[in-house]
Amino acid sequence: MASAPWPERVPRLLAPRLPSYPPPPPTVGLPSMEQEEAYLELYLDQCAAQDGLAPPRSPLFSPVVPYDMYILNASNPDTAFNSNPEVKETSGDFSSVDLSFLPDEVTQENKDQPVISKHETEENSESQSPQSRLPSPSEQDVGLGLNSSSLSNSHSQLHPGDTDSVQPSPEKPNSDSLSLASITPMTPMTPISECCGIVPQLQNIVSTVNLACKLDLKKIALHAKNAEYNPKRFAAVIMRIREPRTTALIFSSGKMVCTGAKSEEQSRLAARKYARVVQKLGFPARFLDFKIQNMVGSCDVRFPIRLEGLVLTHQQFSSYEPELFPGLIYRMVKPRIVLLIFVSGKVVLTGAKERSEIYEAFENIYPILKGFKKA
Amino acid sequence: MVVFGTTFFNFDSFIGKTDTIEVIGKSVFPYCYHSILPLLNDSGRYSLGDARRPLHETAVLVEDVVHTQLINLLQQAAEVSQLRGARVITPEDLLFLMRKDKKKLRRLLKYMFIRDYKSKIVKGIDEDDLLEDKLSGSNNANKRQKIAQDFLNSIDQTGELLAMFEDDEIDEVKQERMERAERQTRIMDSAQYAEFCESRQLSFSKKASKFRDWLDCSSMEIKPNVVAMEILAYLAYETVAQLVDLALLVRQDMVTKAGDPFSHAISATFIQYHNSAESTAACGVEAHSDAIQPCHIREAIRRYSHRIGPLSPFT
Repeated sequence: MASAPWPERVPRLLAPRLPSYPPPPPTVGLPSMEQEEAYLELYLDQCAAQDGLAPPRSPLFSPVVPYDMYILNASNPDTAFNSNPEVKETSGDFSSVDLSFLPDEVTQENKDQPVISKHETEENSESQSPQSRLPSPSEQDVGLGLNSSSLSNSHSQLHPGDTDSVQPSPEKPNSDSLSLASITPMTPMTPISECCGIVPQLQNIVSTVNLACKLDLKKIALHAKNAEYNPKRFAAVIMRIREPRTTALIFSSGKMVCTGAKSEEQSRLAARKYARVVQKLGFPARFLDFKIQNMVGSCDVRFPIRLEGLVLTHQQFSSYEPELFPGLIYRMVKPRIVLLIFVSGKVVLTGAKERSEIYEAFENIYPILKGFKKA
Repeated sequence: MVVFGTTFFNFDSFIGKTDTIEVIGKSVFPYCYHSILPLLNDSGRYSLGDARRPLHETAVLVEDVVHTQLINLLQQAAEVSQLRGARVITPEDLLFLMRKDKKKLRRLLKYMFIRDYKSKIVKGIDEDDLLEDKLSGSNNANKRQKIAQDFLNSIDQTGELLAMFEDDEIDEVKQERMERAERQTRIMDSAQYAEFCESRQLSFSKKASKFRDWLDCSSMEIKPNVVAMEILAYLAYETVAQLVDLALLVRQDMVTKAGDPFSHAISATFIQYHNSAESTAACGVEAHSDAIQPCHIREAIRRYSHRIGPLSPFT
């Protein structure tokens, strides 16, 4: 099982705030549930990890950004992050390995592969060769042998967990964005706020996906590890996985809710893992309509805020009832985000469907908060 | 049909009878000291506009007023429940009792909605909360709002109650409180402000069990349910807030301003309470702090008795 916490891909492209990775915790004890699918997963992980921050550290892992993702995600060309969710589905490697359980998406991707390579050549001059090389090694190594383990080991050095950690360090972003930025055809966003170096960190992502088949919850609960099912209390199986650390509610209709991930890719990956579990139990699970329903971010402006003033001047947007809740609830109209602002300076942003909304909301509120700084 | 809104509260019992107050105060002292009184004393009233160190006597008095008010309210609500043949006092009963006073009712409704909204938001933030909510099964979103809307729908004959839901008028009293708080906080430094904020977060609903005990509804047959308790806690808080508002007004009036043509009349309306040494001492001398004195409270009660309390009945 890929030991590395899942590496983030595209966000780092455009995120000058690229994190400095702490070395990931070596996953010594694999969750037993996942052990069985360990090897298969390894592949998935490698493929996805390939377009991570690898380049500076290991040429082998210069990002193979599955361009098909970007192409497929035409709806949101400007949000780099949004394209990410597609990335996981990925790399044609999927099809080459025995991953027939995801026919729909896979065939789609396969078709797009040739189209993509064109982009590869156009866009990514730098890491061109390594990239084109990349698919082949993994494709050939169907055997999940040593290669995979070595790959995953290198992974563990490269891709520690929280890619969303806010690190406005200029050097890193530049080196990475150099290799990665050229790949994406999107307009780069600047998530770093111009006025301050503070960028909200994502804390929780809630997503839903349709497995598109009726499920026998009892069977799932019996055979799957880390699953709880109490039909009297609630009509869904609650399953948890450790990597990414998430919880899923799986309903008998085939719909699933996945919560707890700290980034879009993690959420998607986790959802896929759950889908795989269900599949392994014999259900014809698919992976349809993955959608991020809510994103929660938080940050700290690092100065105390005089909420009484804020609630008075922004009455139509704010409500502050300290005896009910210690924070001020600010309902921003554009983007439609709810912010919880606390006296200490901590700000929680919720209600976003996209990462950019969180950043934008914070950009909007920061000057206002500065106006009510409690000296 | 029981007539609600008759003078359920006899303020006369407070005027000039400080000994009675003392006795009542002492009997609930054990509760208060640990729950309500600290709420009122050190912080609750401070956050509502009183001075940094409110007077102990004032606290006792206020607490007593609130208690009596709530007991009355509860009794009337129990009567309503009985009429309906219900076994618990529900929020609907309380809403029914308050139907005459639009402003207060609107404030209460707003509070209920904000409570719903806050639970909804906070729930979405933490994944555990989300699970808890799902597990609890019932559709909890906006439950208070639904209760209120359904009930008002059923009793509204002229449409004016339902109109309140759309009513976006500014609540003047709330506005004034906000402005007062803003003025106060502007001049505070960080440490004071932090303390102020903490005190503002106190409420009767935080220590629900203590509040329940203090309310002492064990003697009653019909008890309030959870949402009704929330409302009662809120009404208690509101009563304290109102008392402070009015007492501040009274105090302001007491200060004779130079050039004020009615100054002679104003001081005349202020009845001096000399029934006990304590009250004289408290009123006669401007206290060391500018805390609200019991006499202010009493005067406020005397003047505005029809407006204090959750059931200030007549318009």
